Amino acid sequence: MNPLGEKYLRKDFLPFVFCPGCGDGMIVQAFLQAVDDLGIRDDLALTAGIGCSSWIAVYIHADVLKVLHGRAIPAAIGLKATNPSRKVVTFTGDGDCLAIGGNHLLHAARRNIDMTVVVVNNQLYAMTGGQVAPSTKVGSKTQTTPYGNIEKPLDGCKVAIAAGATMVSRWSTAQPRQLIRAFKKALNHKGFAFIEVMSQCPVQTGRYMLGSGSPQFNFQWLKDNCVIIDDPSKSGEVEAQGKIPLGDFLQVEKPEFMEEVQRMNQRVKEAQAKGGDR
Amino acid sequence: MKAAARIDIDRKYCKGCMLCQYVCQFEVFEPGQERSLLDYLMPRPAKLENCRVCGLCETHCPDMALTVIAEEKGEKKQ
Repeated sequence: MNPLGEKYLRKDFLPFVFCPGCGDGMIVQAFLQAVDDLGIRDDLALTAGIGCSSWIAVYIHADVLKVLHGRAIPAAIGLKATNPSRKVVTFTGDGDCLAIGGNHLLHAARRNIDMTVVVVNNQLYAMTGGQVAPSTKVGSKTQTTPYGNIEKPLDGCKVAIAAGATMVSRWSTAQPRQLIRAFKKALNHKGFAFIEVMSQCPVQTGRYMLGSGSPQFNFQWLKDNCVIIDDPSKSGEVEAQGKIPLGDFLQVEKPEFMEEVQRMNQRVKEAQAKGGDR
Repeated sequence: MKAAARIDIDRKYCKGCMLCQYVCQFEVFEPGQERSLLDYLMPRPAKLENCRVCGLCETHCPDMALTVIAEEKGEKKQ
């Protein structure tokens, strides 16, 4: 086994529940590499919702909270509020984060809470059998859209930017080194970091949407259909060609929620010391 | 130039997706006949002498089953 796995995984839970060729295992490895490089294992607190990608957190030997469908981000906010020194990371899928947990994503991004959200996007609900998700492309055939999907997809990165996230990146499992770099940036970033990872799903996306269940075919599809851009303003051109733009889209500094809470507590104490209610 | 002493593929975890063979630029791997404990046909590092220890197969292994062990400096291959 990989030395990172020896060091950081729960051995009695292995082997991974993921199907052969699934990208989730690569994300586990990239995340562990980032954690190993930064040496922050003892501060980690992970939360996960429901879905294939939410199993990523379960295998990592750290504090893990696996919660209701879509409610991974509120659980993470709770962990952060009780102990702001924690490095809170949430692993969710595209259905978990953008559909049922969409509202939580908006409001966590708006408050700029110091946490990292990793959204693994395989373009459909894979665990339940390949139903249409908010990230499914127009015209794709899934189990619930056998004549092609007519709904326009939701771009998680654009939603996060609009809602006020302070670090937004999108990478795919075909670029593990860039992904490790993005994880490191996000873990060091003070504020809401949103990382979308395009991942291959040979069994559901591959077999029903792309036409082949071979892991190699799905991996090559990712390489062919994802374009790395340096300038976020070029993403429109890439999307017009029907491809997926990858890159670090945004990184800015803004006041962080938990620090603001502490400042407010200080103001309350000062006001109370003066004897007034306000 | 770096060389690999050996490539370990863990029989307990390999699911035979063959992504290691796919990402390798130097055609080190080929499909093998041995089955892992999960009953998948495992890859075999057939041309180990081609390996340059780039680590692509290791970072792309979805089950974290694969490890490339580099040859120590000064050690000659038999």
